[in-house]
Amino acid sequence: MKLAKQILAIVLTAAVFASFDIAVYNVVTKRYMNHNSEAMQAKSVELCKYLPFDENSEIVKINSSFKLNEKLPVIDGAAALYPVFSAFVNAVYPKESVHFDGENFTSDSALHYTNTRGSYKAIVDGDADLIFCAKPSEEQLAYAKEKGVELELIPIGREAFVFIVNAENPVNSLTEEQVRDIYSGKILNWSEVGGKNRLINALERNEGSGSQTQMLSFMGGREIKRNIFGALTGSAIGFSFRYYVEGIVGNSGVKILSINGVYPDKEHIANGEYPLSSNFYAVCRKNDDNENLRAFIDWIISEEGQKIIEQSEYVPLK
Amino acid sequence: MKDRIFYGILIAVCVVGAAVSAALVIYTFQLYEHASIISYIANGG
Repeated sequence: MKLAKQILAIVLTAAVFASFDIAVYNVVTKRYMNHNSEAMQAKSVELCKYLPFDENSEIVKINSSFKLNEKLPVIDGAAALYPVFSAFVNAVYPKESVHFDGENFTSDSALHYTNTRGSYKAIVDGDADLIFCAKPSEEQLAYAKEKGVELELIPIGREAFVFIVNAENPVNSLTEEQVRDIYSGKILNWSEVGGKNRLINALERNEGSGSQTQMLSFMGGREIKRNIFGALTGSAIGFSFRYYVEGIVGNSGVKILSINGVYPDKEHIANGEYPLSSNFYAVCRKNDDNENLRAFIDWIISEEGQKIIEQSEYVPLK
Repeated sequence: MKDRIFYGILIAVCVVGAAVSAALVIYTFQLYEHASIISYIANGG
């Protein structure tokens, strides 16, 4: 009898630990496991896939009539636009102006990649001359003002701000108001918007990222509230830019939602029917007097530059 | 089973169990630090 109790105590102790581990794995760990490569995880985009002057690169390559050979503006930008500005550099810059050490661009390279937050800091600090991003956040504008720098934003194309859910989530479309209600904590369960009876986990991104800035603008001043129970057990909704989801990451485990019944494909972005279409910009310092910078921007919004944007699967201005 | 053996086994199970749980929590935290929002959603999060 004593032996049976002792064995039971050992088995129960082991079972408690095993149950804890299985629960943690299923509820938390599994969600964070990454399906993408380490490079993608670390940088948001695999630089090697879209390098300029590389025959294996996936960027759009055109024979440009416009070339720059001196006074090259230093380029930087957002992850979602990296394939585009890398293609611009490939078309216009000399090959020897870009230096890549296998992991990142070196400091003497005319092409850099530090994502939205790094780019806005770089353009204000003078480490970059032309960046490609969504609109700056309030903090980024305040930083520029503090440093006495006035930024000029030139629209060069259009992109869609999109909301994504797991591919198996039965919800395919939300209204703008439903999305705001979800993020402000008014709607807590997917069943309230036609989905399963499961809590909603409304995800946000880092402050200063292009999509987070867009989200705060979309919320129009309404406070974003995170539901702790949804975060632990809910099914997530997140946001990003269309091309980043479809083109760069290409993750089939997620799906993009229609907003107000309109799916954000190229046609609906171009004709403005998708309500969350917005411009993306070439951003420079207003007082930058490098004539090559202005000529480069003019070329980007010319037929040739817009062709690169269109062939890169983004939406050109016209 | 002698008490000494019983408690020895029990302590060993606790030590191994705690070590595995701690490793899982540390691993999860490391994943969280580098989590991609798209992967997270694709994983059913």
